[in-house]
Amino acid sequence: MAWRLSRRAAIGTATIGASLLAWWLLTAVTGIVGPQRFPSPAETWAALAQLWDPGYAGGRLPQQVYHSLRLVLLSFLAASAIGVPLGMAMGLSRRFEAFINPTFLLLRPIPPLAWIPLAIVWFGLGDGGKIFTICLAAFVPATINAYVGVRNIDPIFLAAARVHGASSAQLVRDVILPGALPLIFTGLRLSLQASWTTLVAAELVGAFFGLGRVLNVAYQDIFPGMILVGMVLVSLAGAATTMALAMVERRAIPWRAPL
Amino acid sequence: MSGISFKGVTKRFGGRDGEVLAIDRVDLEIADKEFVAICGPSGCGKTTLMRMAAGLDFPSEGTVAVGGKAVRGPGPDRAVVFQQFALLPWKTVKENIGFGLKCRGVPAAEREREVMRYVELMGLTGHENAYPHQLSGGMQQRVAIARSSVLQPDVLLMDEPFGALDAQTRVVMQEELIHLARRNPRTVLFITHSVEEAVYLADRVVVMSRRPGRIQETIDIGATRRAENWEAQAIEDVMDRDSFIHFRTRIWKLLRHRDEAAAAAQRPARRA
Repeated sequence: MAWRLSRRAAIGTATIGASLLAWWLLTAVTGIVGPQRFPSPAETWAALAQLWDPGYAGGRLPQQVYHSLRLVLLSFLAASAIGVPLGMAMGLSRRFEAFINPTFLLLRPIPPLAWIPLAIVWFGLGDGGKIFTICLAAFVPATINAYVGVRNIDPIFLAAARVHGASSAQLVRDVILPGALPLIFTGLRLSLQASWTTLVAAELVGAFFGLGRVLNVAYQDIFPGMILVGMVLVSLAGAATTMALAMVERRAIPWRAPL
Repeated sequence: MSGISFKGVTKRFGGRDGEVLAIDRVDLEIADKEFVAICGPSGCGKTTLMRMAAGLDFPSEGTVAVGGKAVRGPGPDRAVVFQQFALLPWKTVKENIGFGLKCRGVPAAEREREVMRYVELMGLTGHENAYPHQLSGGMQQRVAIARSSVLQPDVLLMDEPFGALDAQTRVVMQEELIHLARRNPRTVLFITHSVEEAVYLADRVVVMSRRPGRIQETIDIGATRRAENWEAQAIEDVMDRDSFIHFRTRIWKLLRHRDEAAAAAQRPARRA
C-alpha cells in the first residue's frame, strides 16, 4: 500500500517535472513559443515575485488567495448546508420531490454566471453577490447527488432495519444517511469544483480583490506572466481544497471497502 | 404462544401487463416452537409468504397472523434473516448485532453484554470490530443470525439464509442452526429451494408449486427425526439414512411431477 502510494507520487512528480522542463525548453531555450504567446519561467517567476512584494491588482499574494479561498469556502459550505438536506428530503418524500422538482428543472439550465447581473443589482459589487452566484452553481450537484444517494439505497437495508425495530428517525440516521454518504460526497466534490470555476468568473466580472481580479487586471495590462501566476494559484488552491475534502470523506466513510 | 397462521392467503402483484397471481389461497398453520421449511422452485411465492409474516408485505386476500394477532407491520416478536445477509455495511459486527437492541432502547452496558454473548456463541470472537465487507460470506451470515437471535424473538423468519454460501460453509451453518434451535427452541419459518436442507432442518416441510404458488403437500419429518435422533449425528450420516433419502426422493418427485404437469398444461396455452 505504502509502496503503491509512493510510486504514484513519484509518477505524478515526474510528469509535472517533465512538463516544467518542456515549458522551459519551448519558451526560454529554443524560443519556439514566443514571449507574447506564452511567458517563460523567468517572466513568470518575476510576476510571482511582484505579486508577493509589492503586490498586484490591489493586494499581495496572501491577501488575494485568502480572499478567494474565503469566498469559495463560505459559498461551498452554504451550498452544502442547503443542497444536501434539500436533496435528501426530495429522496425521502415523493410529495416533496413533486413540489420542488419543477422549479429545480426550470432553474437548472440557467448558467450560474447569468445570475451575475441580478446578483449585482441585489447585492452590489461586494462579496454578497459573489457568494450568491457561487452558491447557485455549487448547490445543484450537492442536491442532485444527495437525492440520488437516498433513492439508490438498497431496499434490503431498509427492510432489515425495520424488521429489527428501527423507527423512522433511526432509519434516517442509521440507514439512509450513511447509505447515501458516498454519493453525497461525490456531489460535494462536484460542488467544490463548481465553486472554484464560478468564483473566478464572478471575480472577473467585478471585484476589488481575489485571484479573479488578478487575472482580470493582468489581462488588461497584457501581462502574460501574471496571467499564468493567477491560473496556477487557482489550480493550487482548488487542488488543496479538493484534497482536504477527500480527507474528510475518508474519515466520514471508514467502512468503505478498499478498491 | 407464537404460532404463525396463514388463512386463505392470496397475493397478486400489479404489473404493466396486468396482475400476476403469485400466491393462490394458501392455508398453513405453524405451531408454537415448530420448525417449518417451505420448499419450492423460484417464483413460487415462498419468499413473499415469509415477507408477509415479517410485515414487509401484505396479502391481497386472506389473513396472516402471528401469535393470534393479524400482522400489520414488523414487530418485536419476529426477526428476519435474509438471503443477502443485509448487514449494514457502515456498522461493525458489534454494532450490527446490537442494532435491534439499540432500537429498543436497551442500555449500552446491557447491550454490550448481550452482543458479546452472541459474538462468542456464533464464533465471531476477534472480529467484533470488523466491517461486514472484511468477513467471509459464512461469517457475515453468522452476524445476521446473531443480530436476529439476540432479540430473543418468538418467531424467527429465515429467507434462504444459506443460499449465498458455498457448499462446505452451508453444511457447517446448517449444523449450527440445528444446535441453536435445540438450545433455544422457537418458532421458525425457513424458506429454501434446497430439498436436503429442508429435510435436514425442519419438523415439517411444505412443498409449493410454481406460480401461482400453492401448497402441494406437507410432509412430517419431526417424528422420524426424533425417533432416529438425527440431531446427535453428523449431517452426512443423517443424509445417508434410508429415512432421509426416502423423504428427499418423495419431495423431489413432488417438485418434478408438478413441473412436468405445469409444462404440459402450458404448451397448448402458448399455441393459442
